[in-house]
Amino acid sequence: MDDKTNALREHVKGIFSNLELVLGWEPGYDPLHTRPFYVRTESDIDRLTANCLSFQNLTRYLAKSMNAVDPAADGRKIGVCVKGCDSRSLVALIQEKFVSRDRVYVIGLPCRGTLDARRIRALVPDPARIRSVNAEGDELVVETDRGISRFALDRAIARKCLQCRYPNPVIHDVLIGDPVTPRLKIDAENPSVAAVEALSLEDRLLFWENQLDRCIRCFACRNACPLCVCQNHCIMETRMPKWITQYRNMNEKFMFHMIHALHLAGRCTECGECERVCPVGIPVALIKEKINAIIYEMLDYESGIDPEAVPPLLTFSPKETGI
Amino acid sequence: MRIGVFICQCGTNIAGTVDTRAVAKKAMEFPDVVFAVDYMYTCSEPGQKEIQDAISSHRLQGVVVAACSPRMHEPTFRRAVKKAGINPYMFEQANIREHCSWIGTDREANTRKAIDMVRMSVEKLRRNQALFSTQVAVNKRVLVIGGGVAGIQAALDCSDGGLEVVMVEREPSIGGKMAKLDKTFPTIDCSSCILGPKMVDVAQKENIRLYAYSEVEAISGYIGNFKVDIRKKATYVDWNACTGCGECTQKCPSKKAFDHFNEGLGATTAINIPFPQAIPKKARIDSDYCRYLTGGKCRVCEKICPVKAIRFDMKDEIVTEEVGAIIVASGYDLFDARVYGEYGGGRYPDVISAMQYERILSASGPYGGHIRRPSDGREPKEIVFISCVGSRDISVDRPYCSGICCMYIAKQAIMTRDHIPDSNCYVSYMDIRAPGKGYDEFIRRAQEEYGVKYIRGRVGRIYPRGDRLVVQGADTLLGVQVEIEADLVVLATGVECSAGARPLAEKLRISYDQHGFYMESHPKLRPVETNTAGVFLAGVCQGPKDIPASVGQGSAAASKVQALFSRDTIETDPQVAHVNENMCIGCGKCEQVCPFGAIRMKTLRDGSRKSEVLETVCQGCGLCNATCPNKAIQLRHSTDDQILAEINTLFD
Ligand SMILES: Cc1cc2nc3c(=O)[nH]c(=O)nc-3n(C[C@H](O)[C@H](O)[C@H](O)COP(=O)(O)OP(=O)(O)OC[C@H]3O[C@@H](n4cnc5c(N)ncnc54)[C@H](O)[C@@H]3O)c2cc1C
Ligand code: SF4
Ligand code: SF4
Ligand code: SF4
Ligand code: SF4
Repeated sequence: MDDKTNALREHVKGIFSNLELVLGWEPGYDPLHTRPFYVRTESDIDRLTANCLSFQNLTRYLAKSMNAVDPAADGRKIGVCVKGCDSRSLVALIQEKFVSRDRVYVIGLPCRGTLDARRIRALVPDPARIRSVNAEGDELVVETDRGISRFALDRAIARKCLQCRYPNPVIHDVLIGDPVTPRLKIDAENPSVAAVEALSLEDRLLFWENQLDRCIRCFACRNACPLCVCQNHCIMETRMPKWITQYRNMNEKFMFHMIHALHLAGRCTECGECERVCPVGIPVALIKEKINAIIYEMLDYESGIDPEAVPPLLTFSPKETGI
Repeated sequence: MRIGVFICQCGTNIAGTVDTRAVAKKAMEFPDVVFAVDYMYTCSEPGQKEIQDAISSHRLQGVVVAACSPRMHEPTFRRAVKKAGINPYMFEQANIREHCSWIGTDREANTRKAIDMVRMSVEKLRRNQALFSTQVAVNKRVLVIGGGVAGIQAALDCSDGGLEVVMVEREPSIGGKMAKLDKTFPTIDCSSCILGPKMVDVAQKENIRLYAYSEVEAISGYIGNFKVDIRKKATYVDWNACTGCGECTQKCPSKKAFDHFNEGLGATTAINIPFPQAIPKKARIDSDYCRYLTGGKCRVCEKICPVKAIRFDMKDEIVTEEVGAIIVASGYDLFDARVYGEYGGGRYPDVISAMQYERILSASGPYGGHIRRPSDGREPKEIVFISCVGSRDISVDRPYCSGICCMYIAKQAIMTRDHIPDSNCYVSYMDIRAPGKGYDEFIRRAQEEYGVKYIRGRVGRIYPRGDRLVVQGADTLLGVQVEIEADLVVLATGVECSAGARPLAEKLRISYDQHGFYMESHPKLRPVETNTAGVFLAGVCQGPKDIPASVGQGSAAASKVQALFSRDTIETDPQVAHVNENMCIGCGKCEQVCPFGAIRMKTLRDGSRKSEVLETVCQGCGLCNATCPNKAIQLRHSTDDQILAEINTLFD
């Protein structure tokens, strides 16, 4: 995302009196990070930032950290900043009645990609010396204490952004900045999925075994996902029913990821948060992308587009099976 | 837990390919098993006694029987263990017959499989809990949907048994298809003479409330306590006032209204009484043809009506009825002959459907019972009947046999020869299906006594020549092509599900097959029950059948209702879903998928949302359980842990 900090602050100043709080981002602990930020008072507004580092999907907090199920009694709303991908999560949450559309004021930010800190560290010889990073057009400008270097933006943004089909928020009350052109057409094949499918069956198994073997079941992926709403009632942690044990082996890890993916089937909006937060770099979103591709093909459904639609796996339609 | 295992030999059904003794011996090694034995017929009286004796002598707390399908004998064994003092849900049945002995001949492999199946049942039983039913009061009123002969029979039987009946009929009159028939096979008695008195009975019985020209809008509740919203469609005539005198129909200037009762042969007036014997015999305005309702001018009927019954401002009205059971008798529709373009149905006026021919034959029909051609009113001499038009044809998605056409063609051919002795009747058929009592004799009478010419083979094409129709086809018995110049062609259009069958099933939460016929609970053993408790089936809505079978089913459904209502309360099945409130996150997904409306969301005092199962509505289908992300909702007696234990034991 191009830097929209000033425009965002201006806008929030203008409407803040009508809002309870605003979910946004502020600069983080190093030049490669921002962190989620709750604007609660007028004076907080000047800490807001919105740029290529605004990667967190803030809708997660709406469902998991606050009650947004019903509109507030006094009519005041929660402002929430969303990129294209985040907006789809919001739609999905509205569909599933975790968030009331009337409870939120949606600040939409068209986005050309957010950075992947891992990829930047791989690009820059001495990442510890980075002072700032900035997206300028198609370039990433990295300033270190040894000077400035420029890279093609595509070498630094997240995998999900390279195949983004919805860079513009699908729902918003205000749009900050001009809409941008999607990188992929809506019905385009998912290139990451295609790449894995090009592997032979044995190689594919090997690929996933290598990846999933690293999983330490820290559950960061689950916790970051805006749609993994079970929180501390997650099936991974209960012993009744006992679907999963603590044994450290491939079966259990595989089972965890399959359950996780199946719970997101027809719901995951491909925001990529699960993958971004994984401390061991497993492409976890890829599994869900594959399932989404199947759902799109079989049921002609894409999650998080139409707030009125009902996700196909959350309905019972006798017509589907002719029971 | 102390578990006893009983391996049934089922004569040689199981023992033939499974070493039952070895299975019993192995079972003794399974955890908690303190007793195991094999027996010739476990379901027999001495077999059950053996179980009961073992329960007391070995102080058993749970029983596994490895035998046939639980569908067959689970209730038997549950009763047996209950008698011996243990909870009927502390019982498991492994199906080592249908799932094992019958499907393989390798004795050694079968024995191994049977051992595994018993092992799984033991593991499941170890996690079973005693379950208890609750009692709910029964509302002893019954709803009958559809007033064809099946529905009428069911309603009258229930009424005779002293039950209050609510009947909902979609059309302005009851009677269904049978009311349109002229004579009925195989006795050739007059249809309206045998149906008419029953229709009158429906009108006169004080404990039958008839809603004609009405449809079921919504159904909620469960066995013993259904709530039904009924939409009374606007007739524009106040039926409480209307005496059925018919003055209005004499004067109505709109005389081209579609005559549904006569299958579109001839026309009727916009305000009409469908037929002289209609029940209720009341006038209705067909709003598609009424000059006032379509053009704003006329109101002639309003002036004519001696009792001032016309209400142009009438609107649909919703009334609610409460009942304890429902009989569905919504009947059927007929295949649209236009699908076979080569026959010219709908294109040539003298290619008609068999139902239209019934109306032509009928004395109350459009031609007063004289057989005439619709095109020019001439009496036909050469008449061809074509069977299986929309039956037993995969290419039009009608692979099934309609079951009645062979018989009614023979009837119509006999009637034709009777009316016009110098006529020739030809029947083009695939094979003749006449399995009922006196049916084959009836067909023979048509062939031998009435000289109806039966030609085996399909008709390929029908086309006009002059004012006649050329029917081209094959005679596959003689192996020659045949060509008949006919005056009239009658197509035996097949039976298909009633137009609104699928949406009605969804309201009733019952299943239908791929062709829209309602599914009975078991094709042999529960033919009038559905899988939704308290909902029963009668007549063709369940599958093609003739009048005797429809009436039989109507009576059967009525007797099921009477059996149900002979008790004041009913026991609920405890194998239903149950929510662990501590785990439930209130996401509402279970509520969304439940096909029976058995779940509602509630808010606790701390503001958190939780799901709640209406135990009497829940049918134990398990969809909620499969959908719940964290498995907070579990199906009692089939919990995840029980199923996982069964699977896990296979890999231990
Ligand atoms: C040409 C022809 C000739 C036949 N001749 C004979 C014969 O000689 N002998 C014989 O035994 N059988 C004969 N049959 C078969 C006979 O018609 C049926 O077996 C019988 O009519 C079935 O009765 P039913 O009550 O199941 O269905 P139907 O007669 O179809 O009655 C169903 C009723 O339910 C109503 N309904 C439908 N949907 C709804 C709804 N959603 N809500 C409320 N009401 C609804 C309909 O309006 C109708 O009144 C013949 C059939 C045909 C087509
Ligand atoms: S599964 Fe991953 S990509 Fe999908 S919605 Fe959740 S966090 Fe986003
Ligand atoms: S974040 Fe990564 S390591 Fe942690 S549970 Fe998810 S996939 Fe495993
Ligand atoms: S098992 Fe669940 S989904 Fe099925 S009827 Fe019961 S509550 Fe509804
Ligand atoms: S699906 Fe499960 S968690 Fe969600 S409301 Fe139903 S029982 Fe509760």
